[in-house]
Amino acid sequence: MKKVLEGSHAVSEAVRLARVQMISAYPITPQTHIVEAISAFCADGTMNARFLCVESEHSAMAAVIGAASSGVRAFTATSSHGLAYMHELLHWASGARLPIVMADVNRALGPGWNIWLDQTDSLSQRDTGWIQFYCEDGQEVLDTTLQAFRLAESVNLPVMVLLDAFFLSHTYEPVEVPDQEQVDQFLPPLSPRIQLDTANPFAIYQMVAPSAYMEMRYNIQLAMELVTSRFSEIEDEFETIFGRKHGPLEAVQCEDAEIILATAGTTASTCRHVITDLRKKGEKAGLLKLKMFRPYPTDQIRRHLGQAQKVAVIDRNFSFGASGIFAQEIKSALCNKDVRPPVFGYVAGLGGRDVTPQTLEEIYWQTKNNNIPKDESVWIGLNQELVESWSN
Amino acid sequence: MTKKQTSKDELPLFIPRSSTSTLINKTGSWRYFRPLYEEKTAPCSAACPAGEDIPRIEMLVSQGLIKKAWETVLDENPFPSICGRVCFHPCEKACNRNELDESIAIHSMERFVSESATSSSEPADLKKISDNGKKVAVAGAGPAGLATAYFLSRLGYQCDVFEAQPEPGGILRWGIPAYRLPEDTLKKEIKRIENIGVHIHCKTMVTEALLQKINQKYNALFIGCGYSRPIKLKIPGAESAHDGLRFLHQIRTGEKVALQGTAAVVGGGNTAIDVARTLARLGLKPIVAYRRRRQDMPAFKPEIETALKEGVKLMELVSPIRIEEDPSSRSKSDSSFIMTLQKMKVSAKEIRGRARVIPDGDKTKTLQVQHIFIAIGAEAQALWHVPSAKNNNQLTLSHSKIIEQKIPVVFGGDLTNETKSVTDAIASGKQAAIALDVYFKKGWDAIEESLLSCRVGTGPALSMTAYLGEERNGRKPHIVLFDEINADYFQSAARVIPPTLSPAQSLRSFSEIEATMSKRAAIKEAERCFNCGICNSCDYCRIFCPDVAVMVEKAERYINLDYCKGCGICVIECPRNAMALEEEKK
Repeated sequence: MKKVLEGSHAVSEAVRLARVQMISAYPITPQTHIVEAISAFCADGTMNARFLCVESEHSAMAAVIGAASSGVRAFTATSSHGLAYMHELLHWASGARLPIVMADVNRALGPGWNIWLDQTDSLSQRDTGWIQFYCEDGQEVLDTTLQAFRLAESVNLPVMVLLDAFFLSHTYEPVEVPDQEQVDQFLPPLSPRIQLDTANPFAIYQMVAPSAYMEMRYNIQLAMELVTSRFSEIEDEFETIFGRKHGPLEAVQCEDAEIILATAGTTASTCRHVITDLRKKGEKAGLLKLKMFRPYPTDQIRRHLGQAQKVAVIDRNFSFGASGIFAQEIKSALCNKDVRPPVFGYVAGLGGRDVTPQTLEEIYWQTKNNNIPKDESVWIGLNQELVESWSN
Repeated sequence: MTKKQTSKDELPLFIPRSSTSTLINKTGSWRYFRPLYEEKTAPCSAACPAGEDIPRIEMLVSQGLIKKAWETVLDENPFPSICGRVCFHPCEKACNRNELDESIAIHSMERFVSESATSSSEPADLKKISDNGKKVAVAGAGPAGLATAYFLSRLGYQCDVFEAQPEPGGILRWGIPAYRLPEDTLKKEIKRIENIGVHIHCKTMVTEALLQKINQKYNALFIGCGYSRPIKLKIPGAESAHDGLRFLHQIRTGEKVALQGTAAVVGGGNTAIDVARTLARLGLKPIVAYRRRRQDMPAFKPEIETALKEGVKLMELVSPIRIEEDPSSRSKSDSSFIMTLQKMKVSAKEIRGRARVIPDGDKTKTLQVQHIFIAIGAEAQALWHVPSAKNNNQLTLSHSKIIEQKIPVVFGGDLTNETKSVTDAIASGKQAAIALDVYFKKGWDAIEESLLSCRVGTGPALSMTAYLGEERNGRKPHIVLFDEINADYFQSAARVIPPTLSPAQSLRSFSEIEATMSKRAAIKEAERCFNCGICNSCDYCRIFCPDVAVMVEKAERYINLDYCKGCGICVIECPRNAMALEEEKK
C-alpha cells in the first residue's frame, strides 16, 4: 500500500515489518523519529518486541549486542555523536559476528554544534567491520532496511542503513509499504548461528591468542567478500516478491559518458536532474550513485568508471589532512588499472549546506574545463570573502 | 591464497567459543590489593557516653526490626526510654549527616524504638551470664547505681541496691520534671532492671553499720550517691530564698505548691532551667539570673531554647550580692524581695575554654520579685560518698574511680563524672561493672588494658558487647569521616521531627512536650542514616564487582579470592566505608 511517509518512518515501518524482537536506542536529532515510532508500535502492541530504554548510545549498542547474542533479531538507530559514542562497540558487534541492523541518520559532528547533513559520522566508522548502505529516498530506505536483515543474518555481519539528515529523514514522500505477508515470505524468522543459552552454558568472545586472532579477522574478511554476491541474490529475490530493486550502486548513463559524477545519498537525486539537463545540452554526462560502501564494490566501480575520461566525486564529508572520503576510495579502486581517468575531488554541502543543481553544474564545468584536478579536493561554495579575510 | 567463496557456501563462523567455563581463569592471581569487609566506628557511637551501636540501631529500624533494635540499645544502655527523652544527645552533634543536611534525629529514634518495643509484652532477649556466686552492693538507686547493677547482673553478679528515698530513680525520679520524663516511663525502665534479678532496697540509707555488713557479706561496693545536697548561696538574706532542687523534689512528690507572681532563679545549669520551666507551668513569671553569658550556661542548649520559648526570661552577667525584704510589702501573702545584683563582665582570660567573668566595677542592679530560687549546683550528701585521696591502690578512670580495699570499692556517677548527665552516669555504671568483672577474673593489673580493648572508637565510651566478645568486637576503632562516605548514594532529605506541643500548649500542664514518632516516620528517618562504617547489606559491592567475586552465603558476604583481581571497586562503591583495601602479602 502506498503511504506518504517521512524518511525516518520508512525505517520504522521496515523494522515493524521485519518483526524485530528487540530494540534499544537513545534519542538524538535527527534520528529520534525512527525510534519514536517504533516505541509507539511496541507500546500499542503493533510490534511484539522489547523496547529497552538506556542512558546512552554506548549502552544502546551494548544492549542490542546482548540481545543478538541470545539469538533474537535486534535493531537500533542513531546519528552523529551517538554513532561516535558507539564506536568501540561497533567493532565488537562485527567481531562477535552478530546480525544487528542499525539506521544512522548522517549528521554533522560538533563543534560547532550542527544537526544537519554531513556523512563524516558514518564514513569515519568505515573500518569497524559494518556493511554500509547509503540511501537516496524513502522507498530505498524501507527496502534496504528489510534487505539488511536478510543480508546481516546471511553472513553474520552487522549492517548500517544510512539516511541524509533532514533531506531524507524529515522529508515526506510516497512510499510503497508492503504487506506483512509478503515481508514474511521474504524475511523468515531468524535462525541464529549464535545463541547463548542458559540451559546449555558456554563462553564466547573470550581472549584469543596471537595464534588464532589473525584467522579470526580473515574469517570476517571472507564473510565481507561474500556480501556482494549474497546481496545480489537477496535483491533478486526481493524483486521477485516486490517488483523492485536498487542495486549495490547505480550507473546512470555511464556507458558512453565522458564525465561521470559520483556521489551518495540524496545528492544523487539532484545529480539525476543535472545530467538530464546536461545531456540535453549535448554533454556526455553520467552519474554513478554510490550505495554500498562496505564491502567496497571495487570491481563494479572499475567497470563503470574505467571508460570515462574524467570522474568528479562529490563528497559531503571530509577526512582532514587528506580529502573527501568517497574520492579517496574511488582513487584507490582505480589506481591498479593501467588506463584510468583522472579523479576530481569536490567537497560540498557540509553541515547541511544546500547542494543545488547549480552547484553540481559548476562542478561539471570545472571538471570539463581542467585537464587535471586543481587540487586533491576543491571546496565548492565557500564564502570567499570570509576565507580571504583570514589571510590578512 | 584461499579460493574465493561462492555465495552458496556456508562459511563457518570462526569466533572465540568454549564450553569450558570462564571459572577456569582464576584472575585472583593478578591481585596486588585485597578488599575486605572491615567495620569501623561511627562518630555518633563514639560520641555517645554509653557507646550505643547507633548505626546498627538505625539500620535495624530501617529494616523494620524494631525489637532487635531495642535489644541492641539495651545491650549498652538500660534506659532507652529515658535517654531518648532527657539525654543531651552528643551523638547528633557528631553525626556525619550534618555535612550533607541535618543529623539523624537519634534521640527521637531511641525513644521510638523503646516505646514501640515495650508496648508489646514480649521481653527483651538479652544475653545474661549465669550466676557466678559473687555479690555486689550498690549505694544509690540513681542512674549510675542502677546501671551498675544492670550490667553486673548481666555479667552474673547478684546485686543489691540500697536507696535512702522511698522510691528508686535518684535524679530521674526527683530532679527531672514530668514534662521531660513522665513517672510511668521511669517506672517501666526500673522494673525491667528488677526483672533481670536486681534487688532494690528503698528507704535503706547506707549507714556506718550497713557499710560494715557490706564489707563482710559482699564482694564489692559501688557508690553512686550523686550530688543531692544543694550548694548554698552565701550572701546576706539567702535564707529567704528557696532551694531549686528541693523545689523540684516537692513537685515530683506531688506536694501542692501555691505560688504566684514573679520569681528569680539563680543559676545556669539544668536544674535552674528545670526550676524556671516548672515555675512557668505553675503560672509564675520566672527570670533566670546567671553570672556568665547564655553561651556559657552548663544547661543543655535545647532546654535553654525551649525555656525561652515558654516565656522564661534570662538575665546574663549578674551575680546576687544580697536579698532584702521589700519594706513596702504589707502582708506575708504578697511579700516581695529586692535582690541586688552585681553586674559582671567577661574577662580577657579564659579558664579551661570557659569565659571567666569578673565584677564590672561597682555597677549593680536590682530585681524585685516575689520568690527567689537558688540552683547553683549540688554536692555530695556525706563525706564518705567522695573518694578519698589517701588510698594507695586506686585507679582513676574516665567515669569512675576504683579503690582496692578490703573489698574493691568503685565510685561513680556525678561523683566522678566530668559531665553530669544521665548518659554519663550509665557510662559510669558500665565502666564500674566491666572493671569489677576484670578484677575478679584477671586481677587488678588487667583492668586498664581490658577496658581499652572494649572501647568504642578512640574515646572513653565502652561497649558491653565488645567486652563480651560479640559482634562489635571486631570493629575497628577508626571513626568514619564524612569524606569517607560515598555521598553520591545519599540524597538530601529533611530530618523527621516528631509531633511537638506549642509553647502555649506546653505551659498549660506538665505533659510531655515531644511525642513519640510514628513507625512510618521512624523508618523514614532511619533510612536517612548513612550507617557509617557498618555493612547494611546494601549489596553495592556485589553489584559493581566486575568479576562476580562478591559472594553472599546465609546473608554473609565474602570475597572469592580465586577471582577477585583487587581492583577495589567494591571498596570505593561501599557507601558507608564498611570495607577496606589492603596490600596483598605474597
